[in-house]
Amino acid sequence: MGADPLVALLAACAQSDRAAFEQLYRQTSAKLFGVALRIVRQEDLAEEVLQDCYIRIWNRAGDYREGLAAPMTWMASIVRNRSLDWLRRANPEVIDVDGEIIERVASDGEGPLAALERLQDGAALAHCLRELEAKQRQAILLAFHDGLSHSELANHLREPLGTVKTWVRRGLAKLKACLGARPGS
Amino acid sequence: MNLDRKPELQQRLAAEFALGTLRGRARQRFRRFMAEDAVLAAAVQDWELRLAPMAAAVAPVQPPARVWRAIQERIGGAAVRPDGIWANLAFWRNLGLAASGMAAGLLAAIVFISPQAPSPAPAPMVVRVPSNEMAATYLAVLSDPKTQKPMLVVSAGRSSNELWVKTLDPAIHVPDRSLELWALPPGQAPKSLGVVAPSEKMTALKLVAAADLAFADVPALAVSLEPAGGSPTGAPTGPVLYTGPFLKYW
Repeated sequence: MGADPLVALLAACAQSDRAAFEQLYRQTSAKLFGVALRIVRQEDLAEEVLQDCYIRIWNRAGDYREGLAAPMTWMASIVRNRSLDWLRRANPEVIDVDGEIIERVASDGEGPLAALERLQDGAALAHCLRELEAKQRQAILLAFHDGLSHSELANHLREPLGTVKTWVRRGLAKLKACLGARPGS
Repeated sequence: MNLDRKPELQQRLAAEFALGTLRGRARQRFRRFMAEDAVLAAAVQDWELRLAPMAAAVAPVQPPARVWRAIQERIGGAAVRPDGIWANLAFWRNLGLAASGMAAGLLAAIVFISPQAPSPAPAPMVVRVPSNEMAATYLAVLSDPKTQKPMLVVSAGRSSNELWVKTLDPAIHVPDRSLELWALPPGQAPKSLGVVAPSEKMTALKLVAAADLAFADVPALAVSLEPAGGSPTGAPTGPVLYTGPFLKYW
């Protein structure tokens, strides 16, 4: 995993070091805000999510285990979970899933995969995503990045719900087989 | 659902939880299973780790500066804080807790606001409700702690994204200063709800979420006196003028 400076910052946060927390925020907030914004799609909600998540990170920094995940992975999981909870609670009609989302994930998914490949721990996942059928890959990328539910996926891919569910399920199973039973192995 | 005996289903749900396609009640139910089942929790974590690099590949977006200020306030450690009562988060916490404790007792007082003898009887207070809604479900009457005189009424429908603030006495407005309304969640820093318009009897303030979400954990509200336009720091900087419990009716 290399010497990730965020590991030391999280360790300092666990000791209630406010300066370290500010450093951590400066270095990670733009990325995490990007993650939240894509899922909840409203700036004010994304700001609330980000606030809540950093409070959680501050309170739970001691729970972070270096051997298990990179700090960014751990923090991104917190943000994704919180964002998905907000989506569940917010009035679904307020959230306007428009064609823009589909535009961003081109059918061959080159954009996000290229970005993924450049990441130290993203190359294997990018490789395995490329191994999927295009439809499976697209459904998984949309679900992950944009927080689309099965029925939203079905609407936007103009396919029956059952078909989309199958793509997601088979796509995930193939990903697991490709990546190995344990992540990072 | 007995997940123990269905490892395949376990794996599938763990994957869909991490991906985000497990939604709504199913998501909440699964989260409860996870809390009790270390194997399931580990399966979810494995999936989160598998997929997480995708999150790191998302284009960064700089959040506005107010987010960091709000976070600092909430952890009680802003680098620069005004001195005095506002610097003391415990004051706000206690205010919120005290208000929630008093809520039941004050409910009667709010519903039947009776004239304070022997002072001249104020006109009976009527909260006008927009005709297309049955009634406000969240209601606060904010009063002056010294005189107990009600000064503002704050209300919202439970699924509404608007909060209505009615000024009972136009004389409460101070030239060149603003009255700012705050939510007082227990154990947290006050959250600004906006500035009360000086020229209107009714101010509509926009909420970031429907009232039921925004006020799930807000037992009390307060109004503070701030520089024109509202607090420059995102936290109250002036004296607290009016407070009151914030109640959900039905």
